[in-house]
Amino acid sequence: MMMTDHNDDMLEDIFAQARSIAPRPSDDLMARVLAEAVIPQAPVTARVAPRSLTERVMDLLGGWPAVSGLVTATCAGIWFGVAPPAAVQDYAAAYFGDEVSMSIFSEDTLYVAGDFIDG
Amino acid sequence: MNVTPDPFAGAPDEALLIAFANGDAQAAHALTVRLLPRVVAQATRMLANAAEAEDVAQEAMIRLWRQAPEWRQGEALVTTWLYRVTANLCTDILRKRRGGVSLDQVDEPADGTPSVTEQLQTKARMQALSDALAALPERQAQAVALRHLEGLSNPEIAQIMDISVRSVESLTARGKRALADIMSGRKAELGYDDD
Repeated sequence: MMMTDHNDDMLEDIFAQARSIAPRPSDDLMARVLAEAVIPQAPVTARVAPRSLTERVMDLLGGWPAVSGLVTATCAGIWFGVAPPAAVQDYAAAYFGDEVSMSIFSEDTLYVAGDFIDG
Repeated sequence: MNVTPDPFAGAPDEALLIAFANGDAQAAHALTVRLLPRVVAQATRMLANAAEAEDVAQEAMIRLWRQAPEWRQGEALVTTWLYRVTANLCTDILRKRRGGVSLDQVDEPADGTPSVTEQLQTKARMQALSDALAALPERQAQAVALRHLEGLSNPEIAQIMDISVRSVESLTARGKRALADIMSGRKAELGYDDD
């Protein structure tokens, strides 16, 4: 019990010495702390602009690479229609004949109609 | 001597922190002047090492600056928050120190003048106290340091550590007993009569 009291006295004495310590922060520490006192910026959330109809269609088609292919194919189709190359023209003639005529009415129907008009 | 009047005299720490968060650099300066000595003292008492104490103080203040934009007025005192952060940073260092050699070894006296000897004895005692704190469980070390080194009341410690007053009483009692046991073997070395 006596030993504990002595230990307590020692401890209380050391505590008191510790409490009396009042170190002054160095100028260097002061400067370092103030250098860090930068107001943190609020996180900037990227503003998402509304997407236009064109952009949405582009996305649907698969972006510019897909669209450029589509445009090339369309232009080629129109060009073949307007001025088909000789090879294509020859092939079409051989397949369909030089002149092709088609009617959506049968010939009998046309005769009947002609009788009706002629009286 | 011409002393510049403190434009923030009388303003609570929390108001200064909010002013800093709103872009007032002078508020940061005033807070640093007010709080840094206290943080350095707390860390020095626990660690008995000036370099480590300065590192802890710098880190605690940086965390305070980062916390500023989210500080909610009326929720906590800046000093309470800083006591907690500093105590946690110190026990982190004490934990790493366990089983290793103390960084701040006491040198032999250069001459025999009493003041130097006394200073070295005080330094040895502070080092022994810090090493003994390192041997305690962290919560006990924090509670003992806040009670006996900072001189805070149990309700204040309860707030800092976010525990009940009864838990503080239990931690400080057990911690102090353990400290006394650890240091009893060093009485003669620390200049206390062993009788």
